[in-house]
Amino acid sequence: MKRDHQEARGGGGGGGGGGIGKGESSSMATGKGKMWEEEQQQDASGMDELLAVLGYKVRNSDMADVAQKLEQLEMFIDTAQEDGISQLSCGTVHYNPSDISGWLENMLSELNVPPNNGNFDPSCVVLNEQMIQAASSTINFSNSRPNSDQRPPPPPPTPRVLFEDDLSAIPGGALYPQRDSSESQQGENNSRKRMKTSTGSNSSALLSSPLSSSSSAEIRVAGATAAESTRPVVVVDSQETGVRLVHTLMACAEAVQQDNLKLADALVKHIGVLAASQAGAMRKVATYFAEALARRIYRFSPQDSIDSSYFDILQMHFYETCPYLKFAHFTANQAILEAFAGASRVHVIDFGLKQGMQWPALMQALALRPGGPPAFRLTGIGPPQPDNTDALREVGWKLAQLAETIGVEFEFRGFVTNSLADLEPAMLEIRPAEVEAVAVNSVFELHRLLARPGAIEKVLSSIKAMRPKIMTIVEQEANHNGPVFVDRFNEALHYYSNLFDSLEGCGLSPPSQDVVMSEMYLGHQICNVVACEGPERVERHETLGQWRERMSAAGFDPVHLGSNAFKQASMLLALFAGGDGYRVEENSGCLMLGWHTRPLIATSAWQLAAGAGAGAGDSQ
Amino acid sequence: MVVPLNTWVLISNFKLAYNLLRRPDGSFNRHLAEFLDRKVLANANPVDGVFSFDVIIDRGTSVYSRIYRPVNAEEPQPSIVDLEKPLSADIVPVIIFFHGGSFAHSSANSAIYDTLCRRLVVNCEAVVVSVNYRRAPENRYPCAYEDGWTALKWVNSRPWLQSKKDSKVHIYMAGDSSGGNIVHHVAVKAVESGIEVLGNILLNPMFAGEKRTESEKRLDGKYFVTIQDRDWYWRAFLPEGEDRDHPACNPFGPNGKSLEGIKFPKSLVVVAGLDLLQDWQMAYAEGLEKAGQKVKLLYLKQATIGFYLLPNNNHFYTVMDEISSFVSSDR
Repeated sequence: MKRDHQEARGGGGGGGGGGIGKGESSSMATGKGKMWEEEQQQDASGMDELLAVLGYKVRNSDMADVAQKLEQLEMFIDTAQEDGISQLSCGTVHYNPSDISGWLENMLSELNVPPNNGNFDPSCVVLNEQMIQAASSTINFSNSRPNSDQRPPPPPPTPRVLFEDDLSAIPGGALYPQRDSSESQQGENNSRKRMKTSTGSNSSALLSSPLSSSSSAEIRVAGATAAESTRPVVVVDSQETGVRLVHTLMACAEAVQQDNLKLADALVKHIGVLAASQAGAMRKVATYFAEALARRIYRFSPQDSIDSSYFDILQMHFYETCPYLKFAHFTANQAILEAFAGASRVHVIDFGLKQGMQWPALMQALALRPGGPPAFRLTGIGPPQPDNTDALREVGWKLAQLAETIGVEFEFRGFVTNSLADLEPAMLEIRPAEVEAVAVNSVFELHRLLARPGAIEKVLSSIKAMRPKIMTIVEQEANHNGPVFVDRFNEALHYYSNLFDSLEGCGLSPPSQDVVMSEMYLGHQICNVVACEGPERVERHETLGQWRERMSAAGFDPVHLGSNAFKQASMLLALFAGGDGYRVEENSGCLMLGWHTRPLIATSAWQLAAGAGAGAGDSQ
Repeated sequence: MVVPLNTWVLISNFKLAYNLLRRPDGSFNRHLAEFLDRKVLANANPVDGVFSFDVIIDRGTSVYSRIYRPVNAEEPQPSIVDLEKPLSADIVPVIIFFHGGSFAHSSANSAIYDTLCRRLVVNCEAVVVSVNYRRAPENRYPCAYEDGWTALKWVNSRPWLQSKKDSKVHIYMAGDSSGGNIVHHVAVKAVESGIEVLGNILLNPMFAGEKRTESEKRLDGKYFVTIQDRDWYWRAFLPEGEDRDHPACNPFGPNGKSLEGIKFPKSLVVVAGLDLLQDWQMAYAEGLEKAGQKVKLLYLKQATIGFYLLPNNNHFYTVMDEISSFVSSDR
């Protein structure tokens, strides 16, 4: 709606525009009539309540200013037309759309840089490479998967016009500071050539969009959202038997909670009968939950203490079968890459190295950085091995070999520990922030610390002492740590039902070994959530909302993941069979991956709070 | 014509975002669209008397619907097993809702529509089933209609949605913008197939034709919407090469099918006086009338598009009351 340019010019203002008060004074200082009335809908924190319900955080005091920004952008689009639009939609990286003011400000500041300054931002190369790596697992990382290095990378999606448009838009800013952008004068041709040689495929750079800088305007929104208690339920199976199975499972959990073990025992057996007549995901889930309940009832030692290397293998199959871990690695790497921009020495501390699957892609991406890769130091942390082998060192060695082939200066150190809480920052030999940028990475590790009082606090405090540029956290998006057993059980039942259902989607019949082992991996988690208590219950998943509160209270500020990460994660998903059901969602700067409408894992990134000293300090 | 400031901000924000998403070649920046869309989770815990959950109604197309139910006075905290518990009242209207977005934008779990559906539940004491139909340009005509039809069959066949009084599901359909258009076409199919729909509610429904009407010309670009963007959405939805006299957008146009003599549901058509499509919407209402069908036209002179998204204006309350009466006429 053109606010009232026509009416003011036309003077008469009858017809369709009639009724606009031209004589009214306006706080907008344009002197033109108002098209709106100020409304007072405040809540305690000064936010507009009605917009808040719709997912937008706008302070009442900012409303007029936001309106003005909207007008400015509208005018820009009117004049610049398609070029302007394509700059904003392809060139700009967007962050946190809930913060309308910040979103608009971001675009306005993009527009202050003249478009078409001739720099094709080659950082898209970097991410493109990462994504191909993530999708193709061409690095043979384990001896137990003999064919993985023969498999060629999957062909990228058939290029469609839209990608061409994305690339032809010259972005305004650049991800790297001025000195780097001058080095990328060669721009487009070079980066395409570079991609062709390194991937060996004939994807001509059509998998990504150009990036531009945009350190996000970190507008701290007043009033932290309390962890809401939401029960998102996606019903996949409405069949009669499925429903009865769920009822019986819940009744059994109830009986267990009330210590009515005789009833519980009878119900567990009944579950077995019902499950046998089910098919697919529901049967498997029910079976695992029933087994876990049985263990709890009979107080079996929770799990044969399977050694962690076996567990790592199960996780690798999970990695292959479905996109959750790949998404986790991909999005975390994205944030780390952006945080490492401009640094010549970098240090990643991985809280759970396992087979190191996250790092080849990051290393590849760093190798392709314009201006050359930084020196890359990796500290990998892991549990002691029962047979005393140095698993960490083996992984480090393989990564070192990779580093050599791609020309990245590499240093590795492994730390064996039973608990992250036993680590002291001094052990890690952190170098000063000016010398080396530090990233701390935790994929599905932090929740384990909640099993010991004081552990998480200690670890977060240690992390602060490491003065990281960024901390990336990936966690299951569920509350499996509530105090009431039955609630926990029900939460887990729904969570794992959705998860198993998604595995069903990408499975073949009969299911591949990968799928079977993925299910065992999850079954192991189910058993821990249901059958264990105290320090043994380590699968204490908590929601993003809960982690946000904890991180905020510990002195961390969010680092937002943007539309570029979102897009590439979405494209990564499209490479998976059953991709239809997977969805990426943006949630106030974090990214979540879910199955249909149920988010299942969440990636968030953090920096030390402003005023806490070192850190990105990107707040504007 | 005064629009509350926060409404102006909300709709302008959408307009700006939507401008970024439509490409001149007819393609759509879906990733950015999904990134920008504010979504909310279903919530089986009641909030303000309403709880919701999602059901996948077609595995093949991944189409789901979000079901909203009012909380039962006797059971303020439904357990997970109660989600599909039979309705307890004698007559409960079940409103199948199709969200707007010009066939290309939004989802059933978009915050604006989740909120609207919750308000409908409370106002009408109804169950609402919001359909996450497939969108253009990736899925052109007739996908959205097919998904609507699938949803209608699904709703009609749920024993737990039946009203106690006659063991039948009391079905109404409602939709705004493209959703309103979908309501019409699904209703036609319903009549052809013998499923009874008790009423259609069309809020600012999206219709068009080749000719440019007076309201389109007069209001082009004045209140958030342009002829150009409307054209873009029809090109994205209609089969390639078709023009706007296709019966999908112009059901009473040269290629339309007569509704005379058939038992079409009664219709409530809500038209905003500042919507450039009003001539088409009123022509639709007229077309129903001429075909001998029952229609009530509610013309809101000072309303713009999207007025029903925020309860900060009289039109909102007027329309909510009308809808409530409309679905309660057989109670």
